Amino acid sequence: MIVCVAVVGHQNNPLYIQSFTEADDALKLHHIVHCSLDVVDERVNNPKKSGPTLNETFLGLLYPTENYKVYGYLTNTKVKFILVTTDLDVRDADVRNFFRRFHAAYVDAVSNPFHVPGKKITSRTFAERVSTIVKSFGLSSAG
Amino acid sequence: MEPDVSIETSSVIRIAVLPIGTVPPGLLREYQTMLLRQQTIPQSAISSFYTEHQKSPFAHQPWDTGSLRFKFILGGAPPSPWEDFQSNRKILAVIGICHCPSSPDLDSVIDQFNSACKSYASALVHRCFAFCPGDSQLEDGSKKGGNLKLFPPADTQTQEMHLQTMMQDVAASLLMEFEKWVLKAESAGTILKTPLDSQASLNSEEVLKAKKRRLARSQKTIGDYCLLAGSPVDASAHYSTSQELARLTGDYFWYAGALEGGVCALLLDRMGQTDLAMEEEVRYRYNSVIVHYRKSFIQDNAQRVSPLSFELEATLKLARFLCRRELAKEVVELLTSAADGAKSLIDASDRLILFVEIARLYGTIGYQRKAAFFSRQIAQLYLQQENRLAAISAMQVLAMTTKAYRVQSRTSTSEHSLPNKQIGSSHVDGGKMHHHSVVSLFESQWSTLQMVVLREILLSAVRAGDPLAAWSAAARLLRSYYPLITPAGQNGLASALSNSADRLPSGTRCADPALPFIRLYSFPLHPSQMDIVKRNPEREDWWAGSAPSGPFIYTPFSKGESNDSSKQDLIWVVGEPIQVLVELANPCGFDLRVDSIYLSVHSGNFDAFPVSVNLPTNSSKVITLSGIPTSVGPVTIPGCMVHCFGVVTEHLFKDVDNLLLGAAQGLVLSDPFRCCGSAKLRNVSFPNISVVPPLPLLVPHVGGGDGAIILYEGEIRDLWINLANAGTVPVEQVHISLSGKNQDCVISVAHETLKAALPLKPGSEVTIPVTLKAWQLGLADPDPAAGKSAFGSMMRHFKDGSSPTVVIHYAGSLSSSGDPSTVGSSVPPGRRLVVPLQICVLQGLSFVKARLLSMEIPAHVGENLPKPVHVDSQSTERAIGSESKLDRLVKIDPFRGSWGLRFLELELSNPTDVVFDISVSVQLENPSNVDNDSADQDAVEYGYPKTRIDRDCSARVLIPLEHFKLPILDGSFFMKDIQADGPTGSRNSSFSEKNAKAELNASIKNLISRIKVRWQSGRNSSGELNIKDAIQAALQASVMDVLLPDPLTFGFRLVRNALEPAKLDSPNELNSSVQSSASKGPVLAHDMTPMEVLVRNNTKDLIKMSLSITCRDVAGENCVEGAKATVLWAGILSGITIEIPPLQEIKHSFSLYFLVPGEYTLVAAALIDDANDILRARARTHSPDEPIFCCGPPYNVRVIGTA
Repeated sequence: MIVCVAVVGHQNNPLYIQSFTEADDALKLHHIVHCSLDVVDERVNNPKKSGPTLNETFLGLLYPTENYKVYGYLTNTKVKFILVTTDLDVRDADVRNFFRRFHAAYVDAVSNPFHVPGKKITSRTFAERVSTIVKSFGLSSAG
Repeated sequence: MEPDVSIETSSVIRIAVLPIGTVPPGLLREYQTMLLRQQTIPQSAISSFYTEHQKSPFAHQPWDTGSLRFKFILGGAPPSPWEDFQSNRKILAVIGICHCPSSPDLDSVIDQFNSACKSYASALVHRCFAFCPGDSQLEDGSKKGGNLKLFPPADTQTQEMHLQTMMQDVAASLLMEFEKWVLKAESAGTILKTPLDSQASLNSEEVLKAKKRRLARSQKTIGDYCLLAGSPVDASAHYSTSQELARLTGDYFWYAGALEGGVCALLLDRMGQTDLAMEEEVRYRYNSVIVHYRKSFIQDNAQRVSPLSFELEATLKLARFLCRRELAKEVVELLTSAADGAKSLIDASDRLILFVEIARLYGTIGYQRKAAFFSRQIAQLYLQQENRLAAISAMQVLAMTTKAYRVQSRTSTSEHSLPNKQIGSSHVDGGKMHHHSVVSLFESQWSTLQMVVLREILLSAVRAGDPLAAWSAAARLLRSYYPLITPAGQNGLASALSNSADRLPSGTRCADPALPFIRLYSFPLHPSQMDIVKRNPEREDWWAGSAPSGPFIYTPFSKGESNDSSKQDLIWVVGEPIQVLVELANPCGFDLRVDSIYLSVHSGNFDAFPVSVNLPTNSSKVITLSGIPTSVGPVTIPGCMVHCFGVVTEHLFKDVDNLLLGAAQGLVLSDPFRCCGSAKLRNVSFPNISVVPPLPLLVPHVGGGDGAIILYEGEIRDLWINLANAGTVPVEQVHISLSGKNQDCVISVAHETLKAALPLKPGSEVTIPVTLKAWQLGLADPDPAAGKSAFGSMMRHFKDGSSPTVVIHYAGSLSSSGDPSTVGSSVPPGRRLVVPLQICVLQGLSFVKARLLSMEIPAHVGENLPKPVHVDSQSTERAIGSESKLDRLVKIDPFRGSWGLRFLELELSNPTDVVFDISVSVQLENPSNVDNDSADQDAVEYGYPKTRIDRDCSARVLIPLEHFKLPILDGSFFMKDIQADGPTGSRNSSFSEKNAKAELNASIKNLISRIKVRWQSGRNSSGELNIKDAIQAALQASVMDVLLPDPLTFGFRLVRNALEPAKLDSPNELNSSVQSSASKGPVLAHDMTPMEVLVRNNTKDLIKMSLSITCRDVAGENCVEGAKATVLWAGILSGITIEIPPLQEIKHSFSLYFLVPGEYTLVAAALIDDANDILRARARTHSPDEPIFCCGPPYNVRVIGTA
């Protein structure tokens, strides 16, 4: 189950962060997302590793922490997508698929002429779409 | 667990350092630093202290390359329960530090030291170092011997040498002790236990196992000592033995310990040189260490003791070993597993240490956010301890995280990233944002995390009793996150701020500003009275070119020079107060009281005046901050100093600018000014401000009231401008000029008065009179009601800016005022004082129309033609002196031969509510200015009786045109012109007409300029009517009649003696003569009266005509033409046909016989035959057939006698 998704801007500023848990752990998830930026930064700044996967946007498992697994995705505009999940066995393909759909949703949201680049994404449509994708992630992995 | 562990930790000898007696903390620290330099003692250096008593067990001691390593533990440490397992945990030596001057009795020092050593049972070597002994102590101490080592007072270098020697001795002693211990252990064998071992008794089968196990353990311990002794090869050998035995006996804990020691020995053997293969080896072995530590976990005593800490320690050791950026992933995995293990740790302090280590390692591989996350965990652990010291630690740890969360205090950033220089030069790159601050704006969006961190800092600072840190945290929290904090929370923070401030000494400064937000609003330009203008010493008009002139704000020509100076520059004057407007905003839900706020100036040449402000909830305010520049030089104002919530902070304008820019881009939560309802972002750039030496300062005072000067149209009034020098420097140059609209209303300014007052010393003043004459109101305002509602429209007049201004440029002395620093610079600038003359012009008398009236008075027919009087200046003057007033108005028209009287009638109406008195004067002017006495004649004026016009009335004013001499003087000239041109054709005549007209107009103007119509209203309001145009229009209409003579001139005279004709031959004489009214010849009734009629042809053509003479006895006023005149008697002598050659005159004699005495009128008239065009034009005939009738003026004949 996905507990949190986040969009982080290229200056490491949070653009969108949404948790999908009942519990009051927003702060914890914020911390997890914030800390994952370290790993993203490290992957981005270490060209040695990104050599063969130069155009790969999917960063894979960033790090496991406590009960969570954190996955990352980096667009070519240096916008990061972070996914925090509690599922222990996640297939990479599922995550890739999720990120691809999430990316499309993000692109649609920022293509809104009234959206100011660099500002937080407040679109309700985007939020609804994201929650749909998150729900379907659980389904597709089950099925 | 222990902090700061690494693989090499196993080879470090722990030495407790204990202060003996009283040692001042500063000195203790100094002595400790000296000790710290001796952490590594090479084995080659200790050989001289080393004596081999027995065969050394350390067979492979590397005497050339090896070394002994120490770790000094100040204050010592309690013995660890795991001492047996890892010998390096033991305190193997004790060093006492004694400061002799504070502990004079050496015996007691020794006693104290000995007793202190007792608690360190494991210590093998004891030394007490006594520093700075006195002479007696030296003597005394040398006798004592033993462990007391005295350091004679010497310079630092010598003392350090001494200490080094002592430490080498300690190292040698330790080495020898290790040898002893190892030998003893090998032979006797020791019972080595750990808390992990079960207390239960062993059964027989286990006894055998226990023996082997004991051997394994002792081998491991010997290995440990070998490592401590700096002999890795020996250690390796012992460790491998131990590993074998431990594995056999299943003593995994000790097996892991031996493995760990083996890795340390391996590293030590390689002298720190690592390669990939070696790294792989270490990694492999350590993983096995970790695995075996984990294996050694026994469920039985898990509640009491657990090898987990060793497992975690091993993990951390490996992580530290691998800790490089390239291996970050691996390190992260290790640290993650270590962090997971933290939950199982029993001891809170172990967890603390673990987190500290994890945070440090994350920091080392550049995972700042992770490090910050664990630092926060550490802080939370500290805060659980509920004591002040822990709270201080928590606060300090949290302070370290602030950088990663971008909420750091300004104190920490200003040290390296924001040097003062940058603040000073901030105005140069005005609008640009620093990259650093942009990033921090972006990162500042992690508000959830940032607020938590700041709140925890606040909490820990409060608990730690650090009010300044608490204040700073609360300030940061409030300033950055007020939109996210509820009003109640904001109030809480406000009270936290004030509570903290209560515990701070007053005047405490904090680097982090709280509220309010302050931005630069504007630098008000100098009030117009204080304008500073650049001075061009080479020019007489030194102010020229310095001020923008003309209506254009931008001129392409001034562009080149102005880019470095004009607009961005602001000049302040030493000693003259200046003002800067700033805008404050309080976006929070409480009333903010700013105790004082003043401009913060780093250049030190400025005295700022504090003010206090109250800012209600959600409000912003523009306030004026003032100050006085104190010395010459540039001034930079980076921000404001604010004393608010009990602490003094500096608020930089740049920060708020960045914040507002961020808000505009949507990066920051909200714009504090906007949410207070203030206007949109204004980008006020910092001008370059320079301070110049004192300048003079003129303060004007316009006499006659500071308000508007209310004048009626045409009113003339004097006013006084009082100029006082309020500066400290005398005024030496001054120039007055006028600018603005209606400049010509200022008739005179007393330039000389001002010039004469120079130099105007400070404090002195000068009064210059200025004469004003109100201008005419424009045609745009013809509404007659405007006069009445004038007070209402007064403001409009001001807005129109129709009033002129007096501009005074003044300056002090050219040379600079002796200040050597300014000698090189240009001359001190001058100033411009603008005194607006606030004139409000009300509609006064309004002019309705003007007419020229002429009237003729019949001349008496006398014996002679009237006596000629020369109309030149002298004669006029004489006439003035001798003749009565009325007489002067009347004059003879030489072409008509009658008395003519001309008036200019002006019809004026008075729409105002005051009464006007009109007086007319005509200024006499000498037409030939070469005359000597012309000067005083200019001044001669004549007054006529005043006319009074009541309010809302209109009246006519008659202006007699007495000296309307033009036709007389210039008539012949015109005549000639016309006559000369007349026959040659009409083509040229139009030209000459024009020419004539121009001359005519010039003459009229000359005349008009001498007529002045003055008015007076009330006591002190007087002026002049501007009616020039009106007069001109009036004259123009009747110009023909006025100027051109009739073609024929008629004159009558009595002939007493026919042999004595009057001299009328000369046309000149005729032209320039007037008849005197004094010649009155008696005409008797019942007597034949011989008379002559003189007819003169004024044209250049021969005129044929039929002359008729009419004599009437008329009892009417108009005896000539009036149809209604009551004619009592009339006789006509008609049909006299005569021809007159050009410009000649003829006489026709006739006689009259009067029967009745009385007044008679003689009129001559002529019907001109065959008139030419000129005559027709003159007569204004409509058809060519119309007869041209030329009528002379009436002559009066008084007939006396008895009826």
